[in-house]
Amino acid sequence: MSREQYQIPTGSQQTFTGGAGNTAATTSREFDTGIMYYTCGDCAARVPLEKGAGIRCQKCGARVLYKERTKRMVQFEAR
Amino acid sequence: MPRKQPTEEELERRKIVGVNAETVTDVTSTDFPGNWPGEDYAWDIKKIIRDTKIEFHQNEPAEASFSLIGVDASIANAFRRIMIADIPTIAIEKVFIDNNTSVIQDEVLAHRLGLIPFTGGREGLDNFMRWLPKPKDNEPIESTYFDYNTISLELRVTCTHNPNAAEDEKDPRKLYNHAHVYAKDIVFMPVGRQVKYFAGENAIRPVNPDILIAKLRPGQQIDLSMIMHKGVGSDHAKFSPVATASYRLLPTITILRPILGRDAENFAKCFPQGVIRLEKVTKAEAAREGSGYEGHASELKAVVVNPMLDTVSRECLRHDEFKEKVKLGRERDHFIFNIESTGQWESDAIFLASIAHLKEKARKLEQQVVDMVR
Amino acid sequence: MAKSKSRTEAPQDASEDVVMQELPTSHQPDVQDDASMAEVDAEDDAEVEDEEEIEDDTQRVRLLPGSTPTAASFEFLNEGHTLGNALRYIIMKNPDVEFCAYAIPHPSEPKMNVRIQTYEGTTAIEALQKGLKDLQDVCDVVSDKFVAAQKDFKKKSISS
Repeated sequence: MSREQYQIPTGSQQTFTGGAGNTAATTSREFDTGIMYYTCGDCAARVPLEKGAGIRCQKCGARVLYKERTKRMVQFEAR
Repeated sequence: MPRKQPTEEELERRKIVGVNAETVTDVTSTDFPGNWPGEDYAWDIKKIIRDTKIEFHQNEPAEASFSLIGVDASIANAFRRIMIADIPTIAIEKVFIDNNTSVIQDEVLAHRLGLIPFTGGREGLDNFMRWLPKPKDNEPIESTYFDYNTISLELRVTCTHNPNAAEDEKDPRKLYNHAHVYAKDIVFMPVGRQVKYFAGENAIRPVNPDILIAKLRPGQQIDLSMIMHKGVGSDHAKFSPVATASYRLLPTITILRPILGRDAENFAKCFPQGVIRLEKVTKAEAAREGSGYEGHASELKAVVVNPMLDTVSRECLRHDEFKEKVKLGRERDHFIFNIESTGQWESDAIFLASIAHLKEKARKLEQQVVDMVR
Repeated sequence: MAKSKSRTEAPQDASEDVVMQELPTSHQPDVQDDASMAEVDAEDDAEVEDEEEIEDDTQRVRLLPGSTPTAASFEFLNEGHTLGNALRYIIMKNPDVEFCAYAIPHPSEPKMNVRIQTYEGTTAIEALQKGLKDLQDVCDVVSDKFVAAQKDFKKKSISS
């Protein structure tokens, strides 16, 4: 993908194919539905949460959820 | 002024650095023309060829030890400095992290990756790989990345539960797959002519495959690619080809007056094993007048056998019974080098490269001086 | 913009402010794809050699002002104690040299100065040239001796 083609993904966008790194499990659909995914602090499951939903893991009921890591590639100097 | 030649003993005395209980003496070299009246210390390559000696003590790929004898500290030190700071190696320089859900932070992980020593085919590293040139203004850094200056690597590991693990298993390495991420998990991605130069056993690989990079738990993932460049130790220590490159001066231990019996045993204990040996005073020695051994036949005396093993702890100078009986020192022109390689170079090749580097430096500057005059 | 507000209070120095070019907030350069590196075969090596030559051309030795033929100071760029001390020793071994010393005037500048004063009959520049030549000769001697010692040691360790 060239630099010009690349657009920062937003919720309204229909066809999003990911940032520089395409390895994350998130697909474009997930953005359309307005559902955000979180990681359970207890069982590490991916928890989908809708707007206004109770903050709770559906699998184990834990109430600590973490934000997922960015899907973008991050560059570091090995120094 | 008439030329005169000092006696052997005088020359021997001049090259000893004195080591006393609290002080050191005669530290600087004095072998310059005009320093000693009437003596000739002018530069003479024949003298250098005659006096310079090298003796190996150990020569393994990872560690070499040898004595460089007969050169000045300024030359020996130049070699040491060049080995540490100017001999190029390749190391990971940039890390592109797609995903890292491990407990180790991105920047710490990148730093750890940079410090891992890598090796590969010598032919490829020496003759094929070149420096990464600076990009021209307004051009991105990647514009100068080519197969002859950039090496790509990848590290993609996900930790999962091991379904075959025993019920009561406690060891995370058996309980999970990829609980530990090691240097051997890094994959070399050859590009262009690298396929030819770094094929088979010449592949770019970590010197020590079992370096632990990170620990994972099920569900955690490290997913990144890296690039390596050539660099030198003066830029960053990760580029230094040596773990240590150091020299020490050969210690000298001179027993001025005999140390006998109980004293001799205690004297030997002041030094590491193998430095001092206890020998019996022979009848001939005891019979010789003025030797200090009169009437001590078949008693034990202390004899210096291997001063190289001494650490110059100066322990013997702390005891009154050895006062005026022993003199410690170091030989100013005997450098015991010890070179530990990080694995990319053979340890002895690093020293040879440092010699070549100094010569090349001098040659280039000689040309520069000619250009300056013009 | 809050930034511009505070600027009005600051002393007006327009020339400094204008050129601030803002970088895109997040532009990570792509990992260079294999294609860009694979096309090297076509890319001629001549280009790289050119660049190396350019580096060689930059004059790194300079005669400092206030020099006379027999007493001169030289400034070396990008050299340090490694060369400085070795060169100083070798030049001091020259019997025609009255004085030689080196200094690094400031540790944050990559400069090394060498001062040479000679007796009549030669010049400081000649002494410097001889010094650099002699330094190469020592390197040759040490190199030869080292290779010989390596061979000796190998022979000895095989036979023992």
